[in-house]
Amino acid sequence: MTFTGPRPGGALAALLALGVAAGFQLRCAGQQGSAESVVQTIQRRGALKVGVSTFEPWAMRDRNGELVGFEVDVATKLAEDMGVGIEFVPTSWDGIIPALLAGKFDVIIGGMSVRPQRNLTINFTIPYAHSGMGIAANRDLAAHLAWPDGYDSEEVTVTCRRGATSCNDVDRLFPTATVRRFDDDLQALQEVLNGNAHAVLSSYPKPVEWAGRNPELLFLPTTDNLSQGDEAFGLRKGDPDALNFFSNWIRVNTTSGWLPARYDYWFKTTNWIDDVRPGSKPQQ
Amino acid sequence: MDAAVLSAAVLALGYVFHRVDTVLEYRWDWSAIPNSLYRWDEETGRWVPNLLMQGFFTTVRLAILSMIPAALFGAVFGVLRTAGRLLPRLLSRTYVELIRNIPPLVFIFIFYFFISSQIMPILGVEDFVRGASPATLRSLELVFGPAALIPNVISGVICLAMFQGAYMTEIVRAGIQSIPKTQTEAGLSIGLSRWELWRRVILPQALRRVIPPLAGQFITLVKDSSILSLISIQELTFLAMETAVSTTRVFEVWITVAGLYFCLCSLLSLAFGRLERSAAAARA
Repeated sequence: MTFTGPRPGGALAALLALGVAAGFQLRCAGQQGSAESVVQTIQRRGALKVGVSTFEPWAMRDRNGELVGFEVDVATKLAEDMGVGIEFVPTSWDGIIPALLAGKFDVIIGGMSVRPQRNLTINFTIPYAHSGMGIAANRDLAAHLAWPDGYDSEEVTVTCRRGATSCNDVDRLFPTATVRRFDDDLQALQEVLNGNAHAVLSSYPKPVEWAGRNPELLFLPTTDNLSQGDEAFGLRKGDPDALNFFSNWIRVNTTSGWLPARYDYWFKTTNWIDDVRPGSKPQQ
Repeated sequence: MDAAVLSAAVLALGYVFHRVDTVLEYRWDWSAIPNSLYRWDEETGRWVPNLLMQGFFTTVRLAILSMIPAALFGAVFGVLRTAGRLLPRLLSRTYVELIRNIPPLVFIFIFYFFISSQIMPILGVEDFVRGASPATLRSLELVFGPAALIPNVISGVICLAMFQGAYMTEIVRAGIQSIPKTQTEAGLSIGLSRWELWRRVILPQALRRVIPPLAGQFITLVKDSSILSLISIQELTFLAMETAVSTTRVFEVWITVAGLYFCLCSLLSLAFGRLERSAAAARA
């Protein structure tokens, strides 16, 4: 997932994250001696509590309202390997860091990209996925534009999701273009479909899927990665045991090929679409 | 004349819809909605609520459960507001002003992460639910909904009751103060004690006066419960966001959700209308 703006959401969320961090540290200062690793807490409880945020194809709801997605596979396998049950805590993206700090769950497995600013508040494991950024453009407005230089113009409007890597990429790649930030990827896409903006940036596989579903309105100026993310588990600070355990779990499952295989299934195929959105598989 | 106004309204509405259709490049597809409301469960062979209806029932639960403490806060602090002594007045004034002068969204964020996060572990709700016997769990589920969500629902109820209670306090205070001073003087002069004066003279009259504004406040409470989606309480608005992202049918989902809220609130209006009429009849 690619919400890698300098702040998790709005300024409010950042402020609160800091505030909660401060409060949490105050509370912890008093109980330094009895601090136990979150790994022990999970084993004692017999269940791993994971914070997730709905975002395609990381975590979605299938036809039965159950959570499915890359994240869900990863967390389920992690719990299995620890020999405990799994509990998902669906959380809104703006509140996911404060909720972790407030102890609502043990770990964020939410496609969160590693960012130094974010890392000041929480700890990150080694990355378990590397998502790519793509672009889809409106045929009527942008077909004549040369890629990529034609998009870097005051005449061009590009949309993206607020607080996400996509908005940073727009600023970096097309500094003179007008940026419109939306709360949600689908709103950003709608603006381009309506012909109010030239192009939308989002992480793969979305641009490909959108263009596949609206071939007469959208096209892909490029299928290259505009940027690459480093997604990692997020943990509360001050717990080296958990950091070591989760990082090594990722290392082992990357080497064994399990993580790359699951990643390819969710990001490079569309086999899962029929479970989530029956009848909307794009024709290619 | 009425007919002219009515037909003008219909025409205006039709024009708006027509404009939306020409400006909005959107393919309407309602096919995903029925399954998001109710789904056929293969295992049990029954129709069971899917995400949207689960959220709807949680919203109904939240509304009913938080009405009780909110009304209680309102009654207690409302009476304290009219007290002769300084300390009770100071206390309830502080409560009301603190909450009334902070936007509900900000209040809920702060209250949830700073206060409710401290209260919930002390109450030990989560451990209690985990260790509860099947019989206790069944009765708990009847009141609070699915076991896994009980701590979540309780934090939602506390937040909502805290901030709605402040508005109810003001309504109760206004109701009590609207009873003319002569009533108190007359009651005291015929030898009623302070308690009897409250029970027989002031409260019955005040109660009748506060029913209409309280009804309005209860309906506001139902609608305001949607802000709880920001702290990831699994109510209608939160699950609607999840459904919208997963199905990508954004507008269809939100229109359905608007309809659900409308049904709930208009039912409440009807119920309170009845209550008012029967209160009026009881007096006559």
